[in-house]
Amino acid sequence: MMQPLYILSACSITPQHTYDPEHFLDPIISADNGKLYSLDPDYSKYISPVAIRRMSRMLKKGITAGMKCLENANIKTPDAIIIGSARGSVTDMENFLKDMIKMKEEALTPTGFIQSTYNSVNGWLAMLTKCTGYNQTYVHRGFSLELCLFDAQLFFAESTGPKQILAGGFDELTEEYFIIRNKIGYYKEQMCNSVSLLSHSDTPGSIAGEGAHFFALSNQPENATCAIIGLQMLQQPTTENLTTVIADILSQHNLTNDDIDILICGMNGDSRNHFLIDPLIANTSPNTTIATFKQFSGEYDTASGFGLWLTNYIFTHKQIPTAAIYKQGTSSRIKNILLCNVTIANNISLILVKAS
Amino acid sequence: MAERVVVTAIGIISALGTGKKAHIEKLRRSESGVRNVAHLRSIHAADFVLGEIKSSNDELAEELNLPTGDNGYTRTTLLSLAAMNDLLRNTDIELLRNEPFAFINANTVGGMSKMEDIYMDVINSGTDENNNKYINTLDCAESTENVALHYGLKPLMATISTACSSSSNALILGARMIKQGIVKRAICGGGDALSRFTLNGFYSLKNVDKHTCKPFDQNRGGLNLGEAAAFCLLESESSAKARGANIIAVLSGYANTNDAYHPTAPSPTGEGACRTMQQALDMANLKPSDIGYINAHGTATQNNDLSEGMAIQTLFGANPPYFSSTKPFTGHTLAAAGVIEAIFSMWAIQEQLILPNMNFETKMEELDIMPITSLIENVPLQHVLSNSFGFGGSNVSLIFSRA
Repeated sequence: MMQPLYILSACSITPQHTYDPEHFLDPIISADNGKLYSLDPDYSKYISPVAIRRMSRMLKKGITAGMKCLENANIKTPDAIIIGSARGSVTDMENFLKDMIKMKEEALTPTGFIQSTYNSVNGWLAMLTKCTGYNQTYVHRGFSLELCLFDAQLFFAESTGPKQILAGGFDELTEEYFIIRNKIGYYKEQMCNSVSLLSHSDTPGSIAGEGAHFFALSNQPENATCAIIGLQMLQQPTTENLTTVIADILSQHNLTNDDIDILICGMNGDSRNHFLIDPLIANTSPNTTIATFKQFSGEYDTASGFGLWLTNYIFTHKQIPTAAIYKQGTSSRIKNILLCNVTIANNISLILVKAS
Repeated sequence: MAERVVVTAIGIISALGTGKKAHIEKLRRSESGVRNVAHLRSIHAADFVLGEIKSSNDELAEELNLPTGDNGYTRTTLLSLAAMNDLLRNTDIELLRNEPFAFINANTVGGMSKMEDIYMDVINSGTDENNNKYINTLDCAESTENVALHYGLKPLMATISTACSSSSNALILGARMIKQGIVKRAICGGGDALSRFTLNGFYSLKNVDKHTCKPFDQNRGGLNLGEAAAFCLLESESSAKARGANIIAVLSGYANTNDAYHPTAPSPTGEGACRTMQQALDMANLKPSDIGYINAHGTATQNNDLSEGMAIQTLFGANPPYFSSTKPFTGHTLAAAGVIEAIFSMWAIQEQLILPNMNFETKMEELDIMPITSLIENVPLQHVLSNSFGFGGSNVSLIFSRA
């Protein structure tokens, strides 16, 4: 059984007001073209003006979300920095690649190349926090963020004494990346308004999104908002696999379906995952309230970060935002939350979080 | 005390060839794989020497019994499959089917070597059916997933990308998972194919040498890029012994730290590198004097060799163990570099060899120490240290010990 990952704080930069959570879903930000781009906070708070000028949008978002997360937890220097991203800074990669093609490999400047390196946000956060400890970058598609939590669990298991980790994930949406993913069936042919995504679950595809999500994790319960006590990554499970694994995770903690107060479900409006999602929903207890988030976040490889941010938000504010409720359950308690994310490739991650 | 992690199988393809025999022969003969390229289509192709693998994509595909032409396999994946095939020559694949294992891969630019040829078509008209076969290869996990899929395996998978230290980190993750009892076995390594993207990236940073690189030389002129893929089968010592596996070496120590100094340059004093090597020694419960050979990162860039040289001098003193960079043999193979050099370190122990730092002529004026420049045989090595450092301040050291 895994050692708890106590969440001290979270910070996300997303299409919604998550960076300024007092305005979360007030108003709801939506898009009609299937592209939910994230909002821009004031980046100058954590990054010097000189650095900002050369920095691409994803670097600014990643660094700012990471620094704000640590500030929220009152941590100056974490013991480790573990970040996941399926594609890193896409804009930088595109810029360097297109410059190289257009300029026929002559007179290139290295900025895009350097910043497109997948661990560049790791490096910056290490510099800004003077964190010389463990530093790792996972780039495994829809499990990039989950692998960070997995690694955090290993790190705590190896540690003696109190330790704090900055863990997070980010992915970027660009117009070109949208074109590419659209060609492999990621997005809906007929776009709907993002808010009504889940009522269009009869057609294949989802909508695109982006975000940067960071979490300050501790192996000590003091000042924690909640604790991750279960984590599973399932590669294209069958319906039966999924049911069994959920039952296993719950039973490890002496819980049953009835004990799940909230299921935060990363359903993405894609008809091709009904065979997984429908039984999951049907199996929930009448107690359980089901909440969804992809209509606010859009779909991307580290979108589960939005779900984890929402989990932390619910524990912090002791209520579920009404607009996120898919099905109201009878339990008014907020003690056990199961986050279930599903990707376009039908991979599933399960994260069990309990009140601290 | 946690169980020891051992290496029981190796698979490798680099500019020196495929498999142990081809590599050892060339390492013994001081024969470099860095040369003028045959496959990379760059306008700079004639200007640079690179550690390019001799086989074309079609030749690699044929060796793997895959269709030739636009088969949807990027060169990165083809190289990774070639390395995995080499590993499976000495490992029963049933072992991987019968018990859960982890597959930890490392990569820096995914299928860029293909996507850079077709990118404009893909984002514009994009009607070419053949191009669309590669459309989902512009991420680092493509080779990981395609290798697992090719063999019909469903391991616990992860892909790591920490620039030039990526595959050393893959080995560390596998070892940690074994020590924590999550899996008994992990196949860990990485691969990168040459691409114009990476070549031009390093060229724009002005740290590519047009001639064969000269690590730790006063007149070094930068790195030579290369391509490679390699994997190691890591296993708990008890499960290796239980199945009577041949133990190649023990992964006795490792460390991952960050410089927290600069986005691309290491600290000139080598503070970070020194701390990393020290932590690896601490884990292995060794003193600096226990190390018989250091396979250095030694990229032959101004920054790396100064920083790493200072670190070695600080930690090991004026009379350090034999050290060399084997990058003049293979080129800098980026995500694969860590595991390639980890394998060279294990072979050094197995074959009692100290590998030479080719092309060295002049001692660096900042340093009192010099690398070993010729092959030495019959050196009974007990412990070998291998360094990998990367952009983003990423530092990794690994220690391998005689089984």
